[in-house]
This record gives sequence, C-alpha cells and structure tokens, in this order.
Amino acid sequence: MTTETAGALAPAPQSSRRPIGLLLVAVPVLLVLWLIVWPIIAAVIQTVWISTPGGREFSLETYRFFFSDGYSLSNLSITLWTTGVCAILLLLVCLPIALYLRFSDSKVAAYVQGLAIFPMFVPSIILSFAFIRVLGPNGTVDLLLNAMSLSKIRSPYLTPWGPVIGLVWDNIPLTVLILLSGLGAVSNQSIEAARDVGAGRFAVLWHIILPRITNSILVAISFAVLGIFSAFTLPYVLGPAAPEMMGPFMQRTFRELLDPTTAITQAVITFGFCIVFGLFYVRSVAKNRAA
Amino acid sequence: MATMVARRIDWTGIVFAVVLTLLIVFPLIVVGTWAFTNVWRYPSVIPQEFGLRFWNQTLARADVWSSISTSLILATTVTGLSALICLPAAYAFARLEFPGRNILFFSFLAGHAFPKFGLLVAIAGIFLQLNLIGTFWGVVLIQLVGTLLFMIWIPVAAFQAVDRRMEEAARDVGASPFRVFWSITLPQAGPTIAAAILLSFVGTFYETEGAWLIGAPQVRTLPVLMISFINNQPVIQYGAVLSVILWVPSFIALMFARRVVNSGSFARGFGG
Repeated sequence: MTTETAGALAPAPQSSRRPIGLLLVAVPVLLVLWLIVWPIIAAVIQTVWISTPGGREFSLETYRFFFSDGYSLSNLSITLWTTGVCAILLLLVCLPIALYLRFSDSKVAAYVQGLAIFPMFVPSIILSFAFIRVLGPNGTVDLLLNAMSLSKIRSPYLTPWGPVIGLVWDNIPLTVLILLSGLGAVSNQSIEAARDVGAGRFAVLWHIILPRITNSILVAISFAVLGIFSAFTLPYVLGPAAPEMMGPFMQRTFRELLDPTTAITQAVITFGFCIVFGLFYVRSVAKNRAA
Repeated sequence: MATMVARRIDWTGIVFAVVLTLLIVFPLIVVGTWAFTNVWRYPSVIPQEFGLRFWNQTLARADVWSSISTSLILATTVTGLSALICLPAAYAFARLEFPGRNILFFSFLAGHAFPKFGLLVAIAGIFLQLNLIGTFWGVVLIQLVGTLLFMIWIPVAAFQAVDRRMEEAARDVGASPFRVFWSITLPQAGPTIAAAILLSFVGTFYETEGAWLIGAPQVRTLPVLMISFINNQPVIQYGAVLSVILWVPSFIALMFARRVVNSGSFARGFGG
C-alpha cells in the first residue's frame, strides 16, 4: 500500500490521489449505504414512528401486537426450536467429520472431504426436490421399506423436521470447513504430549482439542444461526403451513397479506434475536481478514 | 487419534464414506433417475420404463424457456454490473491510499451481521416506495448487493498478491501505467478474478429468496419456477428434468472451484 505503487494507476501529483481512490470505491459503498444500512435504519424508524390520525408519533404498537399474538409467537418459537435443533445437530454431525479429516491422511479421507463439501454445489431448491422424492410420501425410502415388507415411514415432509433435515444438509459444508480450519491450529505435538502422559482419546478431545477450537465452534454456530433463523426456501417448501418459520411468515405477510409494516416489524424482531451472533460473526471475519 | 487407525484399514473413514454417500449422493441419484424415467409407479423399486419423453415435454414448455432466458439475462446483467463497479473499487482498496479506506473496506460485511431474509424484507420495504417490486431492475439491485462482498474481497486479495517488483521493473523500462496494468497486473490477478466472477454468476443464477420476494410472479427465474413446480406440479418428471438443467452451472463451478474451496483461505473468508 505504498504510495509509489499507487502511481501505477494514477501518475498524478500526490495531492490528487486521494479523491481518485474514493471515487473508485464510491459506487459499491453507496450501494451498501442505500440497500443495507438505510433499510435497517428505515425499518426501525418505520415500525416505531407510526402514522396515526393525528400525524406520526412514537409507538410500540406493532411490537406489542407481535408479542401478544398467539400465531406470531408460535411462529417465533418454531423458528427458535428449528434453529436450536439445527445448531446442535450440525455440531454433532460436523465435529466428528472435521476431527476425522484433521487427523487422517488416508485416501478415504479425501473422498469424505469431497462429500462433506459437495452440498455447497447443490442449490437448496434442488435439495428440496430431492428431499421430497426420497423422504416424501411414496418416496424412495417408502419404496425400499415396502420391498422389504416393512411399513412406511412417517414422512418428515411438511412437518417441522422437514426444514431441520434440509437445513442441516445444506449447512454441513461450511460448518465442516470452519471447524477444520480451526482444528488446523491444534498442533500434533500437543496431542502427542498429552497421550505420552497417558491421556485417553476422550481426555485429549476434552482438554486439548476443544478448548483450542472454541472460537471456531462459536463462529460456525453464529454463521449457521444467521442462515437458519430467517431461512426461507427450505422451510417454505418442506415445512408445515402452520406454524411457519419467520422466513415464510415474513414473505407471506409482505406479499400475500400486503402488510409491509407488520412484515418489517417481524424482520426487526429477527434482527434483535440474531444481533449477538451477527456481531460476533462479523468481528471474527474482520479479525481474520485483517490478520 | 485416527493416525493410529490409518495405518491399518481406515474403518472410521469407511463408515463416514458410506454414511455420507447414502445421505448426500443417493438423494441426487434419485432425482437424476426420475429425470430419465418415462414410467415409475409405486411400489416398483426401479422405474418400469426409462426414456427421454419428459425431456421433450419439459423443453416444449414456454414457461421453462422464458425462465431460462430470464435467469441467464439476470445473472449476466448482475455479474456484469458487479464486475464494472467492484473491480475498480477492489483495485483502489488494494493499491490506493484514501481517507476511510479501512472502514469502507469492512463496511461490505454489514449485510452479514443480519439474518438474510429479514434484511431482504427491510429492503423490500424501501423498494415498495420506489415501485421496484415485481420489476426486473428491482431483482437486479437486490442480487447485486448480494455479490458485493465476494466481488470486492476476492479481487483485493488477487491484486495484493501481484508481484510489485515486476510492475516497477516494467515502469523503469518506460512502460505506461496502462501498459503495466494490462501486461503485468491483470495476467497475474486474472485467474482469481475470473473465479470471483464465476462464483458471483453461479450464486446469482441460484439466488431464490430475493427473486421470490421482489420479483415473483412477474420476474420468474428458474429457481422461482422450480418452487412452483414443487408446489403445484403433479408430474414429477418436470421437476426432475428442471433440476438436472438447473444443476449445470453448479457442475461447471464445481469443476473450477474445487481448488479454491479446499484451500484454507476460503474457510478463513467465512471467519473460520
């Protein structure tokens, strides 16, 4: 970032370099201000500064409605339930995969890694279709069970478990990659040293590995929570019609009930529930990038 | 742990490989099979008749063709605009000194601190006042915002990785700044920038939530059409054929992006 190399683009005298840099970044920065920062501020203003017969005034009416409406609250609680269950399942599924990949160098490991990353290349809409064909009524699992003269499954399609399965599937790649990247910081020597003094596998995992990857686990969970809490496509296609998760709920309120103020209130409430995860996630990414 | 096991047969790995194959590859094979099936009635385990009949029928549908062209035009427009505004900005962030450089660079993270669909709803509130709901340019704008972070951060890393000594050497022998950029900087940063452009094209092509919230039903992209096939189309094969067509860009991305994705820097970009 020396000013000499800056001259490769603009061989102008030093004083005029500054505006050129700002000019080049202006359009994307203005887009962020207009389409990210401003909508968030406007959303908060619009939902607490409501127009009444006597002009606009401060009121928390839309929020009071949300938190006293049984249907809204059951949508919120199904969202919290789905997010929590998905986060736990993701850790239970991805931590063993990441641990295996970190400490194995066999040929099978390369195949396992390829498979774990593969869902990244399957758009969630194709995943939804595949889910219905496999686990839906008369799907492939039913076919196979029937062929073995067993009874059909109780299909998770259109139940709260439908979005859970889809969202876990969808989030496996990045969770594994983030955990694996954290495990890279655990040195082989520290593990061997612990084993030399007689620590068992579980003790090594609990006392040596987990404390060192706590931050990566938190980053992976934050990323998953941000994606899952307001997920739209998978809950919309695979989930029950009622109660619905916040994503489909907001979409329906906005486009079908034509009630933007209520929809934006719901959006602000999702911001509130995710703010801790969001700030933590952004801080970690920024720290990594700056390093 | 597993290093001990790996010397013998890697049973842990084999268990993972079998389970993941069943859970990840098998559902997609089922979809692929449906696409090439003429007749598959319950309770037969394999289709009664294979064939391409439904490819002809799916490709004869006007809504399929119009959404393919909508998706391609949309993804090309968004990627083109994104490259046009982001690449010069990336160059400035990598090479020029200006006030607020750091804070502006990290401002692109702002969107990632919020749950995505909630943010889309907040943006839709703004678009409602501007009459952008249900319009092509409304969808372009919302998808453009989604590409900014990738299209700036990846090229910045690419420009920073260019060997400065070669640029200086070229200038010492009298090359013009433009010549230096064209002959030295661009060829070195090019492959990474191309990967960023490919990622943003593929990402835009599959973007469903913004297109559904802002565009549908007037602007119907392939993923949006796919949602209506899943919800309302009794003929299973239409959805299966569309899934196979829809997956082609992803397959191309898979071929090119494997190295990028497997490298540690990719996970670090997500905060890992």
